[in-house]
Amino acid sequence: MSVRCALARLFAIAGGRTRLDRELESEVRAHLELAEADALARGLSGEEARREARRKFGGIEQMKEMHRDHRGVPWVETLIRDFRYGLSSLRRAPGFSVIVVAVLALGIGGTVAMFSVVDAVLLRPLPFPDASRIVRIWEAPRPGAVNATTAPQFLTWKRLSADFEAMSAEQPVSATLNDSDGPVRLEGKEVTAAYFQVFRTAAQIGRTFTAMEDQPGSAPAIVLSNAAWQTYFGSDPRILERRVRLDGAPYQVIGVLPPGVFDRDQTEFWKPLVFTSAQLSSGTHWLTVYGRLRARVTLAQARERLQAIYAATLETAPLEERKGAIAMARLAQLLVGASLERSILVAFGAVSLVLLIACANVANLLFAQGATRQTELAVRAALGAGRGRLVAQLLTESLALCILGGIAGVGCAYLLLHLAAPLLVQSLPFTAEVALHPRVLGFAAAIVLAVALLAGMFPALEASLGNLADSLKRSERGSSARHIRVRRAVVIGEVALSLVLVAGALLLAKSLWKLQQLNTGVRIDHVITMSLNLPENAYSIPRKAAYFYDAVAERIRAAPGVANVGIATQVPLRWIVNGEAMLPGGMDKLVHVRFKRVDPGYFRTLDIPLLAGRGITDQDRAGAARVVVINQTLAARLAEVAGMKDPVGKRVRVSSVDYAAQTPMMLDVEIAGIIRSERTAAPGDPDPAVVYVPLAQSPSFHINLLVRTRQEKAAILPAVRDAIRQIDPNVALADVATMRQVQDRALSGASRPAWLIGAFALLAVLLAAIGLYGVASYSATQQRRDIGIRIALGARREDVLAYVLGGALAMTAAGLVFGLLGVLALTRVMRSLLFEVSPLDPLALAMACAALAAIGVAAGFLPAHRASRIDPLATLRDAG
Amino acid sequence: MSKQQQDEVPYGTLDLLILKTLESMGKLHGYAIARRIEQVSGDSLQLSQGSIYPALIRLEQEGWISTDWGISETNRKVKFYSLTKAGRKQLLIEVANWEKSTALVARFLEPST
Repeated sequence: MSVRCALARLFAIAGGRTRLDRELESEVRAHLELAEADALARGLSGEEARREARRKFGGIEQMKEMHRDHRGVPWVETLIRDFRYGLSSLRRAPGFSVIVVAVLALGIGGTVAMFSVVDAVLLRPLPFPDASRIVRIWEAPRPGAVNATTAPQFLTWKRLSADFEAMSAEQPVSATLNDSDGPVRLEGKEVTAAYFQVFRTAAQIGRTFTAMEDQPGSAPAIVLSNAAWQTYFGSDPRILERRVRLDGAPYQVIGVLPPGVFDRDQTEFWKPLVFTSAQLSSGTHWLTVYGRLRARVTLAQARERLQAIYAATLETAPLEERKGAIAMARLAQLLVGASLERSILVAFGAVSLVLLIACANVANLLFAQGATRQTELAVRAALGAGRGRLVAQLLTESLALCILGGIAGVGCAYLLLHLAAPLLVQSLPFTAEVALHPRVLGFAAAIVLAVALLAGMFPALEASLGNLADSLKRSERGSSARHIRVRRAVVIGEVALSLVLVAGALLLAKSLWKLQQLNTGVRIDHVITMSLNLPENAYSIPRKAAYFYDAVAERIRAAPGVANVGIATQVPLRWIVNGEAMLPGGMDKLVHVRFKRVDPGYFRTLDIPLLAGRGITDQDRAGAARVVVINQTLAARLAEVAGMKDPVGKRVRVSSVDYAAQTPMMLDVEIAGIIRSERTAAPGDPDPAVVYVPLAQSPSFHINLLVRTRQEKAAILPAVRDAIRQIDPNVALADVATMRQVQDRALSGASRPAWLIGAFALLAVLLAAIGLYGVASYSATQQRRDIGIRIALGARREDVLAYVLGGALAMTAAGLVFGLLGVLALTRVMRSLLFEVSPLDPLALAMACAALAAIGVAAGFLPAHRASRIDPLATLRDAG
Repeated sequence: MSKQQQDEVPYGTLDLLILKTLESMGKLHGYAIARRIEQVSGDSLQLSQGSIYPALIRLEQEGWISTDWGISETNRKVKFYSLTKAGRKQLLIEVANWEKSTALVARFLEPST
């Protein structure tokens, strides 16, 4: 009744109820008046006429009540009645309801969580106004290559191109903030003034940069991200009045960004990029450029016109640069790479399979439930309920279940997203805000309806179309053979889908294992890495930096438990961004190389073996003859390009950048040795050619320390911190990680899908096991009598055990066959995700089949065991 | 709900009587419908006149009759009811059903031969 009352009140609020009541009231009054007038005409007195009219009308209040009953919207009323009935029948079977809701919660929860990722990354537009007009512009010296831009180029583009509302250049910087707890390193960006116009982002507090702020002589100012404002400045509302010291220099905070998208980016502060006169004339490619297209300018038009401008500037450029082109792409496309999109879609596909399995399970449970209710339904049919009504009633019941499951599922999804939040921030583009948005909730509602139809329709049809008269006669003894056949088919489908998932998970696991086994070329165990940045104003001359490195390495090496220390500008297994050119002969013979600066300890700490010549030593310092060490790949390239068979001792020229002013220069160097290649590319890609330059001969502000310990790492960190503090208390350590973690991160593109699909596969197997168990034990119960007779006739317990178990195994086997067909169908999708593993890898497939067969035995064993214990006398007596 | 149906109108025939009345008389208000039914029955039918209102609202919601406002003989605003197209069709169905069931019952009541 309460639902009805609630609805009645709802109608009343909407105004319909009171209006209809008023109308009825006036109709009744008019009726009585007319009746009274008639009676008076017939000669009755006034009082008698009124009484007569009332008498003939009958009970007014009763009539009003009936009137109200009749004017409700009929199908809504029926729906509500069924829903209420459904809820009460769920209450009657609480165990059943809890299982169904739990199964649905798992399936729907996983799917909704995954969909919110799909929505955030692939469907929703970027969280910037008119985001489709934001493009990145870069130079492509060769087709497909990505090169940064020089300051003169950027300024030319900005001056001459009319297709952009705003264009900005940026480069990453970091700075040390001297907090009360000691120095902390902040990651930031140096940006030209139009940066926030490109992204059309306004400050929450204060303002962003004005056009003049990237010009020489402007006061030093920074903009903070909301997260940085909260973390380092305690959300100080008077932040704009504060001066902040970064790397010892004072800055005015002019603005704080709103929370959200820029907090997921790693950037914590922005400062104006003011070009020095050296940079303005330099040919170094160091800037990343973003632009906002004007309305109604297409990407192709803008690119073409910028290309013309670019070509004109190249007429005076060195010969090898003249082939270059301009490339341009929308930000949205750059943020979501093909591999991320593929991983997300595959994971979404996998979780949809889990949902299908959950659906099948619920259908199966409803079948079982329907079987026990045959009698009830038969009675209802006999009392005149049409088949349509029965189907509607059963569907409404399953809808009630699915809505409960859906609510629990959304809760599940919320929990999952909450738990996975750190992982999501790491692996998704910073623009993706993963949350249960209205669209995601709408999707959840659609799923609930679909599941209710899918899982409820067949059992409802089956239960209501089955021969009801038959079931009345048979009473509760059981249902038709057709019924159990449908249930078996459903379970076979579940096993098949599970096999697809398990096989996929095993293939990915094997692929991941292969990637992990790949030789990295460096020693991984017991090595910790950390990065540090030297404040540029305090280390303005290269010699000071060189002293600092020497002192740090020496002190840390002396600390107890340390086996070795190395310093390099890039950590192993990470891509080397700096691209330079090596000229073994004239200008025409050019080898593209990656440029890494290392100290004498680097090769030893990482056990990188020397193949020829010598490594880098303490003698290779400023003032001494310049040398380099090259890797095997570069040696091979030199042999190929310049015919240099034995490069050790040969002299070559290498392009480089000087310490302070970023002017490019050519170094004349001697190749001192060759080392075996260490991995710097993504696993599976070929190693690039690398030239190793002594750090002491060309120092850098940004370095990484690599410390190899004798025992476990934990104890060593305080000693490292102490060593650095003693040399310079203003230098902050950051990015502390073991090499193992560095490796895991390098493999994360492969390991995340593997883990995710592994988890889904586990869920699928669990659900399939429940389904198998349910059907096996159900059919065993159905055949109690048969089994009892068999035992009475002398069948041994083992025979019965084998008989029931055989049924479960037959279903499993059929499921495996269909599952293998599914695996075959998905070969192409899987191939793109696998490394050196065939999508039909026999070992993985055999293991998947074996695992599911084992599940089949386990799920069938309990019912089989129970059947073998049947007391023949008892069953025969029951049945009689 | 059946407990309120204490009138002498044969069970389930009130709808039929209302539809038929509206078909033959055109637009009528509630009291006129009740009176007409009583008159046609020769005042032999014990109809609680009020019971036609729940029936009217139901027929309206089924879309078989439509209403509009008019003025009664006593100068009061009342609803006038008239048959819709769907109502005409429904009337045919109800009449057919009625004839079928009375024929059936009649066959039972014939002296067996």
